[in-house]
Amino acid sequence: MIYKVIAKPEFRKFIDALVRENTSFGPRQVDTAANGNPIYQFMPVSSVEEIEFDYTATASSAKHFFLPFREELSRFSFNDSDFKQHIAYEAEPVVLIGLRACDISALNILDDVLLNGHYPSPYYLAKRKNTFVIGMDHLPLPDCFCKSLAHHTVSTGFNLFCSDIGEKYYLSINSSKAFTYLKEFQTEEPSYEDNCLLTERRKLISRSFQTEVDVTSLPSILDIEFDSPVWEKWGAKCLNCGTCAMVCPSCYCYSVEERFDIDLKGASRNRKLYSCNLVDFAVVAGGHNFRPKNGDRLKYRYYHQHRGFAENANQQICVGCNRCGRACLAGINPKDVINDLRMEKESCMICVSQSPART
Amino acid sequence: MRFAIPRQDLNREAFASSIPEFNRRSDLMKTDMGYKCRITNVVNLTDQEKLFQLRIVEPQERRIFRFKPGQFIMLELPGYGDVPISISSASSNHEFLELCIRKAGHVTSALFRTDPGMHVAIRGPFGSSFPMDEMAGHHVLLVAGGLGIAPLRAPLFWINEHRDRFRDVHLLYGAKEPSQLLFSYQFDEWQTISHIRLHTIVEHADAEWKGSTGMITELFRDISIDAKNTYAIVCGPPVMFKFVCSYLDRLGIPMNRMFVSLERRMHCGMGKCCRCMVGSTFTCIDGPVFDYWSVMNLKEAI
Amino acid sequence: MKNPVYTFEKLKFASFEFTCCEGCQLQLANREASLDAFFSLLDVRTFREISSEKHDDYDIAFVEGSISRSDEIERLQVIRKQAKILVAFGTCACFGGVNSLKNRFSTEECIAEVYDGQPIETLPIRKISDIVQVDLSIPGCPVAKEEVERIVVSLATGSLVTLPKYPVCVECKEQLNTCMFDLGEICLGSITRAGCNAVCTSGKTPCLGCRGHADDINFPAFMELVKERGLSVSDLQEKLGFYNAFEAYRDDET
Repeated sequence: MIYKVIAKPEFRKFIDALVRENTSFGPRQVDTAANGNPIYQFMPVSSVEEIEFDYTATASSAKHFFLPFREELSRFSFNDSDFKQHIAYEAEPVVLIGLRACDISALNILDDVLLNGHYPSPYYLAKRKNTFVIGMDHLPLPDCFCKSLAHHTVSTGFNLFCSDIGEKYYLSINSSKAFTYLKEFQTEEPSYEDNCLLTERRKLISRSFQTEVDVTSLPSILDIEFDSPVWEKWGAKCLNCGTCAMVCPSCYCYSVEERFDIDLKGASRNRKLYSCNLVDFAVVAGGHNFRPKNGDRLKYRYYHQHRGFAENANQQICVGCNRCGRACLAGINPKDVINDLRMEKESCMICVSQSPART
Repeated sequence: MRFAIPRQDLNREAFASSIPEFNRRSDLMKTDMGYKCRITNVVNLTDQEKLFQLRIVEPQERRIFRFKPGQFIMLELPGYGDVPISISSASSNHEFLELCIRKAGHVTSALFRTDPGMHVAIRGPFGSSFPMDEMAGHHVLLVAGGLGIAPLRAPLFWINEHRDRFRDVHLLYGAKEPSQLLFSYQFDEWQTISHIRLHTIVEHADAEWKGSTGMITELFRDISIDAKNTYAIVCGPPVMFKFVCSYLDRLGIPMNRMFVSLERRMHCGMGKCCRCMVGSTFTCIDGPVFDYWSVMNLKEAI
Repeated sequence: MKNPVYTFEKLKFASFEFTCCEGCQLQLANREASLDAFFSLLDVRTFREISSEKHDDYDIAFVEGSISRSDEIERLQVIRKQAKILVAFGTCACFGGVNSLKNRFSTEECIAEVYDGQPIETLPIRKISDIVQVDLSIPGCPVAKEEVERIVVSLATGSLVTLPKYPVCVECKEQLNTCMFDLGEICLGSITRAGCNAVCTSGKTPCLGCRGHADDINFPAFMELVKERGLSVSDLQEKLGFYNAFEAYRDDET
């Protein structure tokens, strides 16, 4: 990693140059909520003026730039009793500006699942390789809990990461491309003061977290609490709407659907991002649903998020951005669910010690 | 265009023009490219079940495709979709592939309208397999309920081909009605040539049925099992393998010597889509073959 | 060689309208880019809106509109006898639709108000499935042509005909829309069946549930969140009643 500092006006020139020559997305305010809060999303930008560098957090994550909500996996063209299959990995260069540390952590987790697992996904790889990621640090929102999961800082998975140290940005340069482009702009080696400012900035971020979620030994607690009434309680609130998974930066479960072209001369196989909260996620041939109840499905999402699956070495995939919590109409959020589960666990331990030994 | 990011075209990389080899996990490959197969024969077994014989069209792909008993493939009928199907033929048969398929959903229904000469695509093989080498030198108990005979045929073929490596082999096979006993045309061969001790039972007998009637567990009364030296493979509906396995457990067969094959609706077969998760285990990667101990540890398995 | 899986017969198709605006049928003539291919799937036997020809030998009948007169009942029963597959086409056919608002008044009031007291026969609005058996429902006000195309292709190829089981939220989030509740509105998106590509909420109009309820919705939780946010329950009841698509839930105060 190479470190530089850049004055903010010069930084804007750099971003402007990138944005003008590439398809770019950055945080923009799309709405104002009824409570007065601005609502941001990663939207197309064509000049630096359009980018809100001081945004808080986007409502939806940047996941869909790498894992589109819908994507064609393969095409078939028919010819009498025969067919031809075609596969192409479509990816154009894209610049993504303003991802938070947790967003980039989520990409690293997706890398683990989709590139480092048994069968690396070329679809994902094509997009990952063609995306230039510029990260920016920020002061946490009151409900951010990425620090609890150690995702408030990130050291890989981006091309460039910018820390705000007042008049300047402290740049962590993690790709030759970023290094080469920056050569055309005035940057400096970080001074002793710059390094101190960076340390101060990091400390400030670190102590600004207002929400903490105790995730120690959570995988084991989840395992033990498989039949906990907590799931029924929160399941009763769940609308099965799938919003949590759609806005999540690391939820990647999907469904594969095949359909004929309308002229019947071809067909396509398509991937659609799905959510384990949706009612038919675990339906098998013949119609049996392995998770018929809201609580079963909600539990399953927490299992995936906080216990992790073998494909990513049983690591938690939640990064603590709380987008799901903010977006959930029913008010279901990781902090409350996990705390509930923990309480349940503690009371259960008492039950266990008081109950007679099993015969 | 000094700041234009150069496009990296994955389509030009070597893997994009080579044949995907699903046995070599963790190589970058065209994961969604299927091997094209010609349907060479269709055997009507019952109203609901057919045996499809397939031949991979490209010789090079045919050479690459090797599987182990218990593994499955994703069978794709373009336009209709793809479905996970366990392989029902001998793993030594490198020319043809047999799939025993029940008409259960819309893809299989469309498949039932196909004739020999038509083409389908397969991806795979995927998943875990029965430990045939580890089982050598032991008695083997094969238990099949209904369509469970389909995944059981591959290990059965293996045993027949390596008969000298195994001690006593019992095949317990139960179905709802006599007409639903599949592959009855092979019974003689299995018994006479391969010395498999076949025991069949049906739940509802018809006028011609002379064999046993009842649940499959009743067949255990007819055989003696040397629990210390026996491996068991149990394939069938979850209720059935739960009963059978807990019975075998009581007999003293170690849980890690009992194997079952789980069924879930895989969408990708590659541990990505998460549709086949049982608890936190992928049926497509860690399964479909599990030992009974693992199944006991899987939440929501049965 | 004739391929039994990839050789398809045209569907012998007919389209009929009852009490409605005929907007859903008009949708069939929409989406010009694929119009030619779409009608290549169909052997149109009767379709008043696009052709003056009329034949009674159809297999698939699309029925638009709700039922509001006794002669409509007779006509519908004739269609039911002929059609192998009868499709309730559009929200009016599936649920009664906007027309159902009429059922809140007495027939006499309606005749007096709308027809100035002239002797007109009119019955309370009923959906198609109240009169005859319906084989397939394609909801929407109007129907989404893309979905209709997909369903007609499925009918023609004998593949699975499905509607999404999940609610509009999924598609709304795909469009990166701001949640209408965050903007202080009551939106039925989280309990309404998807398939419309969240067209209303993408235009900043809250969902009114024209596609009916999604599978296995959690209505009590939905009710709770409307109350918790201090939004008006009577407004909610208004919205639920708009298309008559939430009959089973409308007065469920739990």
